[in-house]
Amino acid sequence: MERVTERVTDKETIFDQRGHITKITLGMAQKMLEAAVRYSVEIAGFPCSIAVVDASGAVIAVHRADGAPPGTTDIAIEKAWSALAMGMPTLMLGRFIDPRVAATLPLGAHAIGIANRHRGRLCAIHGGIPIREVGTGLGLNVIGGIGASGCPSAEDDNTVSQAGFSALYDD
Amino acid sequence: MKVMLDVAKDMIYAAIDEARRTGNACSIAIVDENGWLVAAERMDGALAPTLDIARDKAWSALAFRIPSSEIHKFGDPATPGFGFNTENWNDRLTTIAGGLPVKDGDSVIGGIGVSGGTPEKDVAVCQAATKAINLSPAA
Repeated sequence: MERVTERVTDKETIFDQRGHITKITLGMAQKMLEAAVRYSVEIAGFPCSIAVVDASGAVIAVHRADGAPPGTTDIAIEKAWSALAMGMPTLMLGRFIDPRVAATLPLGAHAIGIANRHRGRLCAIHGGIPIREVGTGLGLNVIGGIGASGCPSAEDDNTVSQAGFSALYDD
Repeated sequence: MKVMLDVAKDMIYAAIDEARRTGNACSIAIVDENGWLVAAERMDGALAPTLDIARDKAWSALAFRIPSSEIHKFGDPATPGFGFNTENWNDRLTTIAGGLPVKDGDSVIGGIGVSGGTPEKDVAVCQAATKAINLSPAA
């Protein structure tokens, strides 16, 4: 079978004059997904689904690597959405709803109540990372999110997402 | 042949090519032979809900093994499926044009859905995608 090797989308990451990324294009999403899929298959050793959402939370692209469980696409989307919505990696959300952490905090200091918010869309499993205009610190403008699902350990999902995120800054 | 990620990506790239040529921004979704999503992409400028609509079309076409635009015929009093109950179903069922089953010979190996343009344009994009991987469009 003849393969279509020509990529029809420009995969350049677009920076403005301040060196910020203002918007995630399909090409940028494809670049991230390609790197994350490769990382999940070749390095993590578990095929994953990876999703990229834009600033409005709408999915730009989602890919399921061959062999990844079929239900992982939706979980990857939820993780990407949650990271965007809360402006933090979902592993931090996981700490908020961890009863063992909450037990050590005074009443009102924990956030167990965020579990199942947003009509159950909020997902606090490791593997979602927010994408910011610049850098990775809290409080900066969030322009999107990337989420991965499919590894037996959710911490590996987080690494897969990070691999995809880093590709944003590749040449 | 199965719809692996590489095949799905090739179909999507061909679809994007065709959509650009006809000047519309759309979303394309590919499902495997069991109706599970393999890949979906939304072109820059395509409306946000189009991606889910494309996925619904791909699922519907695959599930019925006919173009999504023909599913409404089951509700026609002249056909055996008249009055079919949709209540306890997968809520992805849609009868909008723009979803085609992907066939390899006689067997259905997946589905493709496109949303973003007119029904005719969406179907043309679907056909361009199946043509790109040397499969006959099932319509």
